[in-house]
Amino acid sequence: MLPSYIAHQDRGLPTMTIVTGEASQVRQPRTTRLDLLRQTWSSRADYLYVLPAIVVMLVVIAYPIYYTVELSLFKTPPGLQLKDKSFIGLNNYTTILMSNVFWRVTLNTVIWTLASTIIAFVLGFALALALHREFFGRGMLRAIFIIPWVISAVAASYIWKWIYHSDFGIIGVVLVQLGLVDRPPNFIDSVSTVLASLIVVNIWREFPFAMIMMMAGLQTVPEQLLRAAQVDGASAWQRFWHVTFPHLRGVSTVTVLLLAVANFNSFIIPWIMTGGGPSNASHIWITHIYELAFGRQRWGVASAYSVLLFVILMTLGYFYVRALSQGDQREPGA
Amino acid sequence: MTQLKSGCAVACGTIAPVLMASLLSTSALAEPPVDLSKWSPEYVRSIAGTEEFDTAEACGKVTPLDYKGRLTFWYQGVFEGDPDLLRQYYKDFFESFRKTYPNIQLEEQALTYNDLLDKFRTALIGNAAPMAVRLQILGGTEFASKGYLEPLKPEDVGWSTEDFWPGAMKAVTWDGVGYGIPTNNETMALIWNADIFKRAGLDPDKAPATWDDVVTYSKQIHDKLGVAGYGLVARKNAGNTPYRFMPQLWGYGGGVFDEADPSPNYGEIRLNSEASKRALQASYDMYVRDKSVPVSALTNQQADNQPLFLAGQLGMMISHPSDYNVMLDLQKKAAGADKEKAQTVIDNMRYGLVPTGPDGKRAVVFGGSNIHILKPEYVDGGKVDEPAAKAIICFWTSPEWSLKMAYAGSNPGNLNGFKTKWMKERLDNIKFLDVTTSMLPYGIPFPALPQAPEIMNIIIPDMMQNALTGAMTVDQAADDAAKKVKELMGGGL
Repeated sequence: MLPSYIAHQDRGLPTMTIVTGEASQVRQPRTTRLDLLRQTWSSRADYLYVLPAIVVMLVVIAYPIYYTVELSLFKTPPGLQLKDKSFIGLNNYTTILMSNVFWRVTLNTVIWTLASTIIAFVLGFALALALHREFFGRGMLRAIFIIPWVISAVAASYIWKWIYHSDFGIIGVVLVQLGLVDRPPNFIDSVSTVLASLIVVNIWREFPFAMIMMMAGLQTVPEQLLRAAQVDGASAWQRFWHVTFPHLRGVSTVTVLLLAVANFNSFIIPWIMTGGGPSNASHIWITHIYELAFGRQRWGVASAYSVLLFVILMTLGYFYVRALSQGDQREPGA
Repeated sequence: MTQLKSGCAVACGTIAPVLMASLLSTSALAEPPVDLSKWSPEYVRSIAGTEEFDTAEACGKVTPLDYKGRLTFWYQGVFEGDPDLLRQYYKDFFESFRKTYPNIQLEEQALTYNDLLDKFRTALIGNAAPMAVRLQILGGTEFASKGYLEPLKPEDVGWSTEDFWPGAMKAVTWDGVGYGIPTNNETMALIWNADIFKRAGLDPDKAPATWDDVVTYSKQIHDKLGVAGYGLVARKNAGNTPYRFMPQLWGYGGGVFDEADPSPNYGEIRLNSEASKRALQASYDMYVRDKSVPVSALTNQQADNQPLFLAGQLGMMISHPSDYNVMLDLQKKAAGADKEKAQTVIDNMRYGLVPTGPDGKRAVVFGGSNIHILKPEYVDGGKVDEPAAKAIICFWTSPEWSLKMAYAGSNPGNLNGFKTKWMKERLDNIKFLDVTTSMLPYGIPFPALPQAPEIMNIIIPDMMQNALTGAMTVDQAADDAAKKVKELMGGGL
């Protein structure tokens, strides 16, 4: 027989589904396209209120997207002005896909994104759980843990660059003085360690965000369910796994997706600390795109990279929105 | 008391006439205001303070002093590695300009060396460039070749072409037309810490004569004292890297093209020649084999080497005379024992000529900056106030201000600057100035090609990083870089 706290939950879900189903039947009577047009026309004045926002969005979002897609179909020789570009169809895309650099940068990006996202999330979640309990100094610890997130990424990058400094970084100096190593470890001037070193900085910057999100999520876990589970003899792990975690599924999904998008787009830390080096070992997509466009003036190729990045991020965005709307749908039964 | 010695290399510095050819190789050199064939520290001292110049009067003939207008102006300004003295001169310049031209509404914007090109390129694409810009010497040809710049020659702002170094004029000329005016010209020197040399068993007052000696000295310093011997710099997208590697490359007889030859035509790629590979091998030997240079060289710039040098952790580096003033500025900020230690380093600073290659070839980057006027269609607002632009260009390239704006670090673009009273004052105040004036005739301009910024800021540092990290062998890295240059010259991606 199932423990009662799980049964409560299971009993809750069908109820929620029925309510949602009925509600949707009531709210969404079958409408034809003609009805929709009529409805739009009858409330046409309302659209004037949102027109300025739509125009602004078209100018600052839609046009740059369109222009980037257009530019990705042109060759833009670095020795010529941009207006002298020539149409080459999908050549930029084939050039990218056939280049060794693309695969290397993509691998770096995948490692960077996955490692940063997963570790920052797990660390943030663990700390959120730890700080959810009442204990002396909890407030101060919360404030301390948030510091990396509120520090400017630019400042943090410079600070870490000096912490990691391959000759005089504080980590290296301490390790040498403790007699653990003969020479300071080479963190960011080695192709084999640079990416991992940057990921550590990124995790340090991001785990507070995950912690805050999960702490907010933990506030929504019904206390009575946890107490019921405790009364039923559930262990701490069982209470976490069967009560707490299912309630945090929505916020976890959103947090992971937001972290993934932010990491995919992350620019400041790798650019300031290493500029993608040494020997391109810490180039991720966004820094590579920047270098292609602004350092090497390959606007066409950089645009093609950007379009590919846009497609990936839109996919992540789709799942993000879906996760959010699923959260909204679950809300009535929660 | 601070004891300063410039070293035998400078005191004995004589200029090989053959090297003058690279800078004198232009028919435009009719009668320059100074006799370049006599160029030596002694000659520079003999002409300093011999003439008076009135900037306002000279520029008033180009643009009336009561002219009313508006000017947007971007310039490569001072950055973290520059001395406070230079900051003050930049401030004085704009104050003086505003006082002289009270009716010109000047909107100036300073950008650092590493940011200026990126920002300027982006602004040009959006037709949002300033009316006038002062760019690093590396950038002028790129923008001139693309048609962004208005033709501009010294005569347009009241000066004569002969008033400027012929080598500098090459960098502002594209297809035989001038598109800018040099503001300053710089040649670096070798700086060393005599105390470190002494403790490492080297002659404290003798600079390494060749690049091979630099490798040997660097190893000896590191092995004996445990500090870095030579301040190698190999960061990407940083002007410091080519300024320090190219003298080495040219010294060994290599080059990207034939830019070190008296009459270059940039037809042949020499980056993977045996001579070029030897130069890269020297860096490899110091970084990988001997581990005698900072490990952080791949992410560092010269500004990172300066505090290391001041802390007595670096034996030698290539830099400007202004590094002496930078050391004084940094020393003022130190406290307690650090202050004393810094003073010891300053007392032991020595400057000498950049070493030669195995065949005795000495070379240094003929650097500096140029000032340009943009075509109206690329400027924010679609209009260029040409009289206002010419006023500031006349001002900056005047004997007075081209000298003052290069006071601590380099040399005036306008050769008449060497004759001013400020040059005389500068020779007394700025230590080691003789070295940089002595190095001028050995200066080799970067290839005057639109592709030069990518070659110098990306391909060269990439080549170094590929070799120094072990991602490629020295041969592979040089071949890879040569291939990239070839692709770039063929139009790129």
